Amino acid sequence: MTVSIIRSFKTVAAGVGIALTLAACGSGGAGAGKAEQDPSAPLELWARTTPGGDGEKGMKKLAAAFEAATGKKVEVTAIFDDFETKLSQRAAQKDLPDIVMNDSSQLGTMVSQGIVREVDLSAIKGSDQLLEPALAAARATDGKTYGVPYSAQASALLIRKDWLKKVNLTAPTNWDQMVALAKAFTTQDPDGNGKADTYGLAVPASTKRGYASWYFSNFLWAAGGDFIAKQADGKYKPAMSTAETVAATRWFRDLACTSKVIQPGAATMDTPPTNETFEAGKTGMYVVGPYLMPRFDSSLGKDKYDVVAMPKGPKDSTVLAEGGSVYLMAGSKNEAGQNAFAGYAISAEGQKIGMEGEKAFIVQLPVNKTVDIATVRPDPRWKLYADVYREHGRYAPSIPNWTPVRQSTADTVNALIADCGLDVDAELKKLDQKLTDTLSQQGISAS
Amino acid sequence: MSVREAAPVTVPAHAAPAPTGQLQRSRRSGQWWVPWLFLAPALVLFVYFKFIPMAQAIGMSVQEVRPYLGNTWVGGANYTEILSSEGFRSAAWNTVVLAVGQTFGSMVLGFCLALLVEGQTRKLTFIRSAAFLPVVVPLAVVAELWRIMYHPTGDGLINQLIGLVGLGPSGFINDPHTSLASIAVTGIWRGAPYDMMIFLAGLAGIDRGLYEAATVDGASTWKRILHVTLPGLRPVFAILFVLAAVRGFRTFTEVFLLTNGGPNGSTEVVMTLIYKLGLEQSRLGVGSAGAVLLFAATLVLTVCVQLLRRRRSA
Repeated sequence: MTVSIIRSFKTVAAGVGIALTLAACGSGGAGAGKAEQDPSAPLELWARTTPGGDGEKGMKKLAAAFEAATGKKVEVTAIFDDFETKLSQRAAQKDLPDIVMNDSSQLGTMVSQGIVREVDLSAIKGSDQLLEPALAAARATDGKTYGVPYSAQASALLIRKDWLKKVNLTAPTNWDQMVALAKAFTTQDPDGNGKADTYGLAVPASTKRGYASWYFSNFLWAAGGDFIAKQADGKYKPAMSTAETVAATRWFRDLACTSKVIQPGAATMDTPPTNETFEAGKTGMYVVGPYLMPRFDSSLGKDKYDVVAMPKGPKDSTVLAEGGSVYLMAGSKNEAGQNAFAGYAISAEGQKIGMEGEKAFIVQLPVNKTVDIATVRPDPRWKLYADVYREHGRYAPSIPNWTPVRQSTADTVNALIADCGLDVDAELKKLDQKLTDTLSQQGISAS
Repeated sequence: MSVREAAPVTVPAHAAPAPTGQLQRSRRSGQWWVPWLFLAPALVLFVYFKFIPMAQAIGMSVQEVRPYLGNTWVGGANYTEILSSEGFRSAAWNTVVLAVGQTFGSMVLGFCLALLVEGQTRKLTFIRSAAFLPVVVPLAVVAELWRIMYHPTGDGLINQLIGLVGLGPSGFINDPHTSLASIAVTGIWRGAPYDMMIFLAGLAGIDRGLYEAATVDGASTWKRILHVTLPGLRPVFAILFVLAAVRGFRTFTEVFLLTNGGPNGSTEVVMTLIYKLGLEQSRLGVGSAGAVLLFAATLVLTVCVQLLRRRRSA
């Protein structure tokens, strides 16, 4: 009977051997070169948005307007779950969609996989009207541009208006006031139900998709700290143990450990449950982008909360800026069509179409200098977001792969919030070491 | 016991080399390819959806995977990287702890449940179905349910309960010291009824006469369980152990939904780590190396259990 087991082991070993041989022979194949051009070929567009949702409707609206304006056909496919995996499958078939509309922060990953082509800005109509910070986020470490930003967003502070009145305070303008307000919201029973069940600040501090790090960047940068710092030679050094970063981390952690103004369970919450704490009247402040306003307007009520710029940190009021880009994919049969679509998406007309609608909008904040958001959305809260973006927005750096940096910083921030017994300095030093490894794996570590 | 188990295996082994065997066998089984023909639909599906992807994963584990530019051969670099990373080692340890905890927890609880609900009456059928519910509830729902029960303040459901005996409030999944145990409890809650069903099937196979004989000999209930029930369930234990251990090694959904490996990596298991490396960070080569190592561990475990079982029953 042992014989049969030995035999199965042999079979497995043989299978492994064949797989390894195939791997050795099949590797090193070069990517497809420039495909034969056909300017009338329809453009296949993939957007990272929920199928059947408002984002898809918005994309289709833009595609239809582009078709009407130019006569070129665009087929829109909305994909949300496992978007990157599905894109990899198409890459393996050497048959990529012509255009991908995805987060600007995906740039580094897509460039290092070689699935996007370089953008010749002179061939994109209206690219000189793009806002500089948005354009800068589309440049990779090699200084070349690989995407065309079509939408931007930044973070601002949402505060419960009725709670403010109840605790008799005003919207905070600096961090000390913010802490004082958070304490008041936590201890003074602003919802008046007689229970100590309210908290000052909503924080999605889960490690999922790096949320903890994503949220913390609004505070880290305002304190003058950084995740990684660019050196004179264009390479990067980890910056998680600089004095500013340590101070910012301590301050943020004290919110959870000392003053206890963050909602309980934050360490395992990503955005959906955190949004619910704000909607359900458990938390009084929340730092988010403008895309959540339609949701909170209907669930909580527009009159229940204020939107204000982030209070000034020890250094300034820098907040995280993000956005969406039009990526022109490699191997397209219709490069002229790709350029035309990108040009249309950033034109004044395209931006306005993208912004229209109560829910089905795909452009959060315009990236075209000539477009004033107030002409499309008279709501002053949008104007506030646009101003915050232009004055204080800062993008994550375009390194080859930002995800591991965000992931490991999220792990540490999450750990510090969850375990108040950990030593901040030691954890941040450990993180610096991890980031050094990540940076050298990507070939951008400054020695 | 061993007689009963060995019987069906040994008989055909002796029958095959009989002198007239050759002729009889060809007449009995017809053309050699007929059984393969019947197996073909399943085999084709298996090859296409299981074996080829598995071979590809092994291939990818020695390459830097770049689907569009073409993969490059990196040899053992992916393995070196993952084996030398502290994250993988602690994830492997957490996986083993979780697998052991869940396996034994589910087996003990499942066994107790099975003893309690064994029998023929109508009411028991209802109770058995009710007890089986956790297995059929989708894992995503289970995770949400437990997240609510594990609410880390004094108002939390379980915190209220343990508050009655003067304990808590505990942070449960939010505290790195209790998070892994909390996930194990969720896993046991879900796994125990499944084990219970298999135990029930095993219990039905034990000869009633043995219990009666033991009772006549003056054995207490406890002694009957120890000397009749447990030995009678030995093969059930073996199969449950393999199933539960394999399930434990591949734990993903509950961890992903409840903690995603946090806080401070205290619940990071191999599967969540592979997911993060391969799919979130798009480093499919390193992720595949982790997957291959997990596969190897599962294979070794299964083979060891089989060897132990066969040696004992031989």
